[in-house]
Amino acid sequence: MSERLPKTESELIERLHAIDARAPEELHRKIEAMVAERTPARRSPGAIRWQPVAAVALAAAAVVAVLVISLVGGGGSSSQRLTVRQALALTRLPATTAAPTENPHNGTQLETAVGGVAFPYWEHLGWRSTGTRSDQISGRTVTTVFYVNGRGQRIGYAIVAGTPAPAVDGGVVSWRGGTPYRLLKRDGSHVVVWQRNGHLCVVSGHGVSSATLLSLASWQERHTLTS
Amino acid sequence: MRTLDPQSLTQHVDRLYRAAWALCGSREDAEDLVQETFARVLSRPRVLHGDDDLYYLMRVLRNTFLTSLRTASRRPVTGAALEDVVAADPKPTSRPEQAFEVQELYATIAELPEAFRLALVAVDVLGLSYREAARALRVREATLTTRVFRARNQVAARLTPDAPRDSEIEREEKNAGGVLSSGGTP
Repeated sequence: MSERLPKTESELIERLHAIDARAPEELHRKIEAMVAERTPARRSPGAIRWQPVAAVALAAAAVVAVLVISLVGGGGSSSQRLTVRQALALTRLPATTAAPTENPHNGTQLETAVGGVAFPYWEHLGWRSTGTRSDQISGRTVTTVFYVNGRGQRIGYAIVAGTPAPAVDGGVVSWRGGTPYRLLKRDGSHVVVWQRNGHLCVVSGHGVSSATLLSLASWQERHTLTS
Repeated sequence: MRTLDPQSLTQHVDRLYRAAWALCGSREDAEDLVQETFARVLSRPRVLHGDDDLYYLMRVLRNTFLTSLRTASRRPVTGAALEDVVAADPKPTSRPEQAFEVQELYATIAELPEAFRLALVAVDVLGLSYREAARALRVREATLTTRVFRARNQVAARLTPDAPRDSEIEREEKNAGGVLSSGGTP
């Protein structure tokens, strides 16, 4: 225990007020990027009186955006669109090939990978891989690995080939280990969407909670950082 | 009534980070909490009713923190494999000798019961007035005052090695039982 630690209430107040710990630069950069992304373009002075109306319109637009929830190919033409619904549908289809095996050189991964991004090995977390399938959507290859747990619940984990990853809108963003995970709900199923090394990943399972999906999705990133 | 200017929020990142650190007890969790708080605030235009930015941020920080606690309690138990061991920032403060002390202090605050923790963080870490803190935490000002007083006592007791800490803390927590569950009476 440090000698400098406060022993009385007044010392504690004084010490707490004196702490000048600064947030990490990386966090500052991320917040500034989020603010820049959300700051509207400069308005003319006459537009200021319409701010409340504009706020309502923006809020309505946000609601519409949540309902539309679409993935638009980064840099691609508007005719090439990959929707969350399509990716979600893949996670519900049957497997077409056998279950991938554990990577003998890395106990956190399976041997199947897309563009160097490996699927996770979750058997020790209670989720066993049962099969794989590969599909083409909007010119992109989507590889899906399926997992089941002891209660028979099934999860599909899809990785979309090609970078940059399609942009994702809608839902709620939750941060884990500095990575943003987007939580959506489509057709009664929770979906978690995020990026790994520039590749879009989608994980979903009927009847599986968003907390479980988020925990599984973020586990590998954290484990990779420390392994 | 005014619309919250997103640009004005960046000046509060450090203070909000310290508050999040004291709530979570870990710098890595604090970073996630701050990012999630800002993502919520920036998700749509916000209209403030004459309120200070910091008061509003504390309100959102509290809600985000409580949501994350509830989410965490629903996560599957996966044992040691899910340990969150991420390299920490080696320079958390401008004075290196302060780093250990800060970690110790915030970790002690993070061990307090949730209601005491939020009260202490709002007043002593974020620097809100008792009135602002009470509104941000949705409790009466008298309740907030009591919680801050008890929280300070508990932290001081826990940091003093020869104090009769456990029994005293247990008694304090027992006395505060009604307060913590009802959220509205002193």
